[in-house]
Amino acid sequence: MRLMNSQDYGFSATAIGGLVYKFMCLCYRSLDRVFDIIYWPVISLLLWGFTSMFIASTSSFSGVMEFFLGGAVLWSLFWRAQTDVGTFILEDFWSRNVYNLFASPVTSIELFVAIGLIGLIRCILSFLFLSFLAWGLYAFNIMDIGGTAIAVFTSVLLLFGWVIGILIAALIFRYGLRIQILAWSVGFIIQPFSCVFYPLDSMPGWVQGIAITLPSTHVFEGLRYAIATGELAWQPLLISLGLTAVLFVLSIAYFQYALYQAKKLGLLTRFEMA
Amino acid sequence: MALLEIRALRKRYGTVEALRGLSLDVERGEFFGLLGPNGAGKSTTINILLGLIIADSGSIRIFDHDFTSNHVAIRRRMNVAAAFTSMNGVLTVWENLMVYGRIYGVKHLPRKIDELLERFEITDLAKRRLQHLSSGQHTRVTLCKGFLNDPELLLLDECTVGLDPDIAEKTRRALQAVQRERKTTILFTSHNMNEVEELCGRIAFLSQGEILRVDTATHIKRLIPHQVVEVAFQAGSDLTPIRQLHGISRIEQNGDHALRFILDDPTRQLDPLLRHLTQSGNPIVDIHVSRPTLEDVFIKVARGEL
Ligand SMILES: Nc1ncnc2c1ncn2[C@@H]1O[C@H](COP(=O)(O)OP(=O)(O)OP(=O)(O)O)[C@@H](O)[C@H]1O
Ligand SMILES: [Mg+2]
Repeated sequence: MRLMNSQDYGFSATAIGGLVYKFMCLCYRSLDRVFDIIYWPVISLLLWGFTSMFIASTSSFSGVMEFFLGGAVLWSLFWRAQTDVGTFILEDFWSRNVYNLFASPVTSIELFVAIGLIGLIRCILSFLFLSFLAWGLYAFNIMDIGGTAIAVFTSVLLLFGWVIGILIAALIFRYGLRIQILAWSVGFIIQPFSCVFYPLDSMPGWVQGIAITLPSTHVFEGLRYAIATGELAWQPLLISLGLTAVLFVLSIAYFQYALYQAKKLGLLTRFEMA
Repeated sequence: MALLEIRALRKRYGTVEALRGLSLDVERGEFFGLLGPNGAGKSTTINILLGLIIADSGSIRIFDHDFTSNHVAIRRRMNVAAAFTSMNGVLTVWENLMVYGRIYGVKHLPRKIDELLERFEITDLAKRRLQHLSSGQHTRVTLCKGFLNDPELLLLDECTVGLDPDIAEKTRRALQAVQRERKTTILFTSHNMNEVEELCGRIAFLSQGEILRVDTATHIKRLIPHQVVEVAFQAGSDLTPIRQLHGISRIEQNGDHALRFILDDPTRQLDPLLRHLTQSGNPIVDIHVSRPTLEDVFIKVARGEL
């Protein structure tokens, strides 16, 4: 059997509609999914808001609010995108739905388009909520950074979040629920190397070596540059966007491969019993 | 041209050979039973037909198309109801069926769902969350999902497990009705032999990944030729002359005043036996004739005695 052929890229709007409907039901029926878009982002907004208030009161560091709050809001988008892919896929494992889902004519592409759509909606909601909150609590208007800048930053972060999410999903298909913790923990490893709250050149050489390969680093560098100069550092951002798009395609290819492996090893039907 | 053609299907999991070159043809409109002991390879066969497991070798044609290269289009025209699987627990019955109806591209979906809920008598469960249902209720929701897209080929893997006798009977009626109305081809596994016998036209007997025999229940039962006649006599009867009767394959004492006659060739042996019994002068108080059941055959096959 060929690993993939053209039919795997089939595309039915009705099927995608069905999946989006499912994810919406999951969102309003499960408190966890509501918690996701409010609780964690708010915690981080409080933490970094207070931190920047403290720093602003003790130093002459200008733009400290933008520096930390901008970072916190943008990071929460990456985090949201990445964990959404994992949890929406895990949901099917938890409820033993994998069997029926993969026995149906649904294709991986339809699945990811649906997850992407629902993820986008959740990210927008989360972003709006945080923006209003930052404005209310700290009189910080994130749009001061600039509409275009925000659009470019979020595109890279969402796409990169999906890349990581899809890779984790692939690993869950291949290795099962015992690695489900990755869905929540991988973000924590990426964060310190993404220079969310400190500039790249303040890091030791080996950290810089890792950080520079992450598209997320260039977003946060770009954020600080935009705050300092009011301009966008287009070149590194476009390179990151291109790179992330390539990674995105590769991650989907890896997912297809992991799914193929799982079917070869008979794992899709065995997880049902787990 | 058979609706489903399986050729030389092999599947090995590590050291376990689940299927060893299984070949099978199922015709359009057949209600076909897959029978065999635990681990025989029934579910593996079904899961390969669903594309959930990829076989090591062999070929499958469904609706006259190669399954591997057309599995998305083929899966749109088939469906499955399998025990021990589920849908999304936090969604209601109705929501789950809406999701699957859209995935399968079902037209007039709400009406279709209503009709199926009614058929399986779970209309009142529509707004309940799946995770709150009893296992029998859950099974019926799974069956509704299986029928959503009016599949031309329906795979039922132990789909009647856990149903109470009343609902099980109604489910069998529903299966028969749908199968007759729509000429649905059904591949059915169950460990309930009466059910298999009642529903299935032809049956394939699987053992250790191989098909031992494909035939109708009536023919398969003939694999065990004998009938058993149990006769109870009035207390104090003298059974010695009866025990010396010739031409009966085997005669066993069956309690104090009862005998068991095993007939290997009932068509020739039954009549002389009954004549002899009535002529012997011993009053008969009870008589019971039992023919081999599918279950007897199953047990013998499973134990390697046939
Ligand atoms: N996913 C899997 N991974 C490893 N081994 C498997 C897997 N699925 C089945 N097997 C093995 O393959 C053989 C056939 O299993 P299968 O589930 O097809 O049997 P079955 O006929 O459906 O049995 P049952 O009546 O118990 O449902 C068994 O030995 C089983 O242990
Ligand atoms: Mg089975």
